[in-house]
Amino acid sequence: MADLAPMIRIAFVGKGGAGKSTVAGTFARLLARRGEPVLALDSDPMPGMPYSLGVAVDDHPIPEDVVVAGGEGRPRWVLRPGLDAAAMVDRYAAQCPDGVRYLQFGNLWGPVVRLQQAQFAWSQVVAELDTQQWHLVGDLPGGTRQAMFGWAKYADTVCLVVEPTVKSLHTAARLASLPRAQWGPRSLIVVVNKARDAADADRVAARLGVEPSAVAPHDPAVLRGDRRGAPPLDTAPDGPFAQAVSVLVDRVVSLYSQPKETAQPEESAQSGEAAQREEAAR
Amino acid sequence: MKIAVVGKGGAGKTTTSAVLARALGRRGARVVALDCDTNPNLGLSLGVGDSETERLLTLRERLDTGEAEHAPSFDEILERYGSDAPDNVRLAVITRIENPEPG
Repeated sequence: MADLAPMIRIAFVGKGGAGKSTVAGTFARLLARRGEPVLALDSDPMPGMPYSLGVAVDDHPIPEDVVVAGGEGRPRWVLRPGLDAAAMVDRYAAQCPDGVRYLQFGNLWGPVVRLQQAQFAWSQVVAELDTQQWHLVGDLPGGTRQAMFGWAKYADTVCLVVEPTVKSLHTAARLASLPRAQWGPRSLIVVVNKARDAADADRVAARLGVEPSAVAPHDPAVLRGDRRGAPPLDTAPDGPFAQAVSVLVDRVVSLYSQPKETAQPEESAQSGEAAQREEAAR
Repeated sequence: MKIAVVGKGGAGKTTTSAVLARALGRRGARVVALDCDTNPNLGLSLGVGDSETERLLTLRERLDTGEAEHAPSFDEILERYGSDAPDNVRLAVITRIENPEPG
């Protein structure tokens, strides 16, 4: 059972290719290894988390028949009567190594039009989840759009994954304004990924004005594993990448163990929710 | 020719687009580089710099918030929402044309 209180609610954001899914999936498994209940939330329509989680089947779409039309004054699609968030997680969250459960809204190979129902279902599940039951580890699509629209409002901590390239840094600098967004995560932390040397970490710290919570060096073993479709934790469990994510888990756990100075963000940031539904409708 | 570059994040879409645009420009072609990304970075790869890339994003955001009007024509997009890049390339963040002519 969970020894940690309160539960961690973290979302990973950053430029495409920076390593959000790889860090997030590894983070989820390392947290779960401490005996914590972890639900991994993937809101990327082209989901990447299955590969770092090491779940055998990468496609876990929420079927479209879990929702019915919401009707007047309600979201366009709502969970059908008899289905609630707990039942949805029970039925549709995939079982992953180390006991992580994984809820995906995207569908790798299905028709895009069916995504809308799944996305509304996913959003409702996340909004209505018992947050005392699960640590939430979320993975957002690359770039700034979904993050700015409030897709991570379930999280009170946002982790910015930064590759020390000029474009990844530029995107990170845009995303660094997230705590000032209406749905405001309480804290923003930074992890440097694919660092070549110490100067890379310094470069990130200088640009963002935030000292990185962890620095993952370029790890050839992770790349070799990737070519075989194997997650970092199974390819190089003691390698520098896994070690860096372990440091990140330590840092986040201690962040949540400290007394809170600021209030938790409000549960329903109305504008963020509306924007998210609007986005889901596209 | 009209070329669109697509792919997963981090694969090198922006870098490929920029090199393609400048290579064509160096051969004497008139090239328009359109950044259609919701997180536009093409300016960085073309070499117009951080602040100019950010200025173009700000211009586009003013359209999204309704503070600015959409351009009436393609040439106007290039004029209003564009910037000169090296090698005879004109960079623009794409929005949409207000009441476009058919075709």
